[in-house]
Amino acid sequence: MNFQITFTTGYEYDSVVTDNLNALRVRPATTSSQRVDDFHVRIDPETRLHRHTDYFGTEVIEFGIPKPHESMTIDVRARVVTTQSPYPDEASWEAIGAPAYAEAAGEFLMPTGTEPPDALLEEFDQMARATSPLATLLLLCELIPDRFEYKPGTTYVGSTVEDLIRGGAGVCQDFVHLALILLRRQGIAARYVSGYLWAAPQDGGSDSVEVDTHAWLEALLPASGGRGEPVWVGADPTNRILATESHVKIGHGRFYADVPPVKGVYRGGAEAKLAAAVSMTRLDPTTSARA
Amino acid sequence: MTEPATVHDPSDYRPTPGYHDEVYLPDGSPRDYARPMAEELERMGPEQLAAAGRRRDAIFMQQGITFDATGEDGPVKDRPFPLDLVPRIMPGEEWTHIKRGLAQRIRALNHFVDDVYHGREIVHAGIVPWNLIVSRSHFARAVHGIRPPGGVYTHVAGCDLVRDEEGWKVLEDNVRTPSGISYVLENRVAMTRLVPSLFQSYRVRPVDHYPQLLLAALRAVAPSTDDEATVVVWTPGPLNSAYFEHAFLARQMGVELVEASDLVVRDDVLYMRTTSGLRRVHSVYRRLDDDYVDPLEFRPESLLGVPGLVRAYRAGTVAVANAFGTGVADDKAIYHYVPEMVKFYLGEEPILDNVKTYLLSDPEQLEYVLPRLDQLVIKPTSESGGKGVFIGPSTPADELEALAEVLKVEPQKWIAQEVVKLSTVPTSDLDGTVAARHVDLRPFAVFGETIKIVPGGLTRVAMREGSMIVNSSQGGGSKDTWVLEDGEDSDRAEPPDVVRQELPALPDMRYGGWSDQEQQQQQTSTERGRAHACPHRA
Repeated sequence: MNFQITFTTGYEYDSVVTDNLNALRVRPATTSSQRVDDFHVRIDPETRLHRHTDYFGTEVIEFGIPKPHESMTIDVRARVVTTQSPYPDEASWEAIGAPAYAEAAGEFLMPTGTEPPDALLEEFDQMARATSPLATLLLLCELIPDRFEYKPGTTYVGSTVEDLIRGGAGVCQDFVHLALILLRRQGIAARYVSGYLWAAPQDGGSDSVEVDTHAWLEALLPASGGRGEPVWVGADPTNRILATESHVKIGHGRFYADVPPVKGVYRGGAEAKLAAAVSMTRLDPTTSARA
Repeated sequence: MTEPATVHDPSDYRPTPGYHDEVYLPDGSPRDYARPMAEELERMGPEQLAAAGRRRDAIFMQQGITFDATGEDGPVKDRPFPLDLVPRIMPGEEWTHIKRGLAQRIRALNHFVDDVYHGREIVHAGIVPWNLIVSRSHFARAVHGIRPPGGVYTHVAGCDLVRDEEGWKVLEDNVRTPSGISYVLENRVAMTRLVPSLFQSYRVRPVDHYPQLLLAALRAVAPSTDDEATVVVWTPGPLNSAYFEHAFLARQMGVELVEASDLVVRDDVLYMRTTSGLRRVHSVYRRLDDDYVDPLEFRPESLLGVPGLVRAYRAGTVAVANAFGTGVADDKAIYHYVPEMVKFYLGEEPILDNVKTYLLSDPEQLEYVLPRLDQLVIKPTSESGGKGVFIGPSTPADELEALAEVLKVEPQKWIAQEVVKLSTVPTSDLDGTVAARHVDLRPFAVFGETIKIVPGGLTRVAMREGSMIVNSSQGGGSKDTWVLEDGEDSDRAEPPDVVRQELPALPDMRYGGWSDQEQQQQQTSTERGRAHACPHRA
């Protein structure tokens, strides 16, 4: 699919702030199933941008606004082409014991220190064990939205998995954090993915819709028969699906805090009002999604 | 607690059997190099020594050379730093061995830090497991791929050494923000004032050039073409337990002592606020942990740091000593591999040995250790300063049982070491009598263009008979360490090159604190997403 993405974030401060320093992780990644044709960031007030690639390979754009200001706008525009990844192979549980699997899994198999107490997870461990790693991944994509209500406002950006389990409701970020922990407990390497999700308009008319940044995950699945490299497979437990060509990836990490779209601090005690909007337009409405 | 069996005449002093005493031979006669001091101590007698001790306490209190400790009745504030007036004497030849061994080890550690954040060659060579490295709490993803000015990471190192009957060994490495050098310098000044007669027969190598060595190193790595690089010492503030040392070093180097609120990053350059505006900073000697230096890159909830500092560091416009991320090298689980690092990076045999260490993340070693907890020292891997350490032989059985459970759950966070039979040095009691007490040694190395090590270092001494706990926070004291001018090489002071920086005073006005930018939670409603049934599962 071919998308035009516009991601606008506005901050209105109730008094003057200075030295507003921010790090953005908003550029769509270049992967085997995704290409970025165009990418621009504009900040108001105007300022110089610094770019680097972080530890996990995500492009980071940093800037600072030293002068006093009362509002700031971050305007991100990107054109992206995505293709559907092939459906993953079914491989047995034994395959995750292979040295090549551990090598590819790296730190995405290790605990991160954000895990809730074991007692809270044990009921899920039982349920999540399916006939194969792929089956477990698909099962979790059903289990989590079945068990937890999708309800914005019940959790916040810093909520933990323990908060989700105890509260019984959360949003995609929380669902993903729980899925990651459960996958790792089954020996499946898993990483948090931040990105944009295109949703087809309900009326079927316009191809431009308002969305938000979205979170899903990638699980490392072994190649079938123990031959070939293990493959990172996207899965979206909020929407009960494997990632599609509607999922536009920005980057990945161990958890949200490794890939926040906007992270910043400013000087001054002002309260800020945040307004963020992502709009995605399909540029190839007539082209078949499976072409 | 039994009263220490002290002897009232130093000539009756007997070393503890089975332990190396650095002054007296097992028969009670002094070693050759220590004889003049032993004789002078005898001449002085306990009364003179006790009187000098009282003068010392008065001077230290007056000068504010104090520390906080945890006593039997809870925290004790502002006690005079306990300098024992009997010095520790080291022949020049012995020091040369230590110095070479340390310089070698620090070079290897510096290579390791560079390797961890770049090519990971030691991992690819199968020597250190990558999973171990990334799971260290001080592994810093934020500085992956950043090579600091000069390629130096471990500008200041304070490795802890111990001596047993076999010789010198490294007990632990410390390449984050080791403290104690101010005591080394103050101790020397106090000793010459309080017990000048002990120096009569000795030529003791000076230590007072340390601030010049440090300043020269901080300038050497500064990204500045002119000689007048602006250097600052960054302290977390007066509440920090080592604030005295931060202020002392800044004063001795003639540079500004700053806190986070004095610093600001504009674009990708670090500046210091002065009354005459912003002044660029080229080199920062920071005395706080990575966690607190930059909320944008490290612990986000810490708003104490300087936002953007890592950006400036990444751009190479400022040198930071020690570099960010060095804590991965002095982790106690990594310590185990340092002799291997020396061979791998330098192609040399290690001059200084490690203490025998067991990595509990290895199931076989864990199995070996668990039934022997009462004979070993158990340490958490990421702590320093003696925090969280269990000394098996002196820990109650029920605590060891509880510890065993902890080790089984999180073995990767612990190591075990054989108990080292620390050497002893005669040490004065309150009444001036002298008895054998255990000591260790923390030499201070400075890495700028080359590695320079101040002769001796901080000797820490356990003040109770038989005790091996030398940490000052837990009742330990210190000794002036004398390296004798009798070896071939010498450690004379560098010619002074201190050009005092004439700086305007910092403005009184402190800027407002930092606020966190509100982050947007990642959420996309199920309703909208539901429009997408998985094509594969339809």
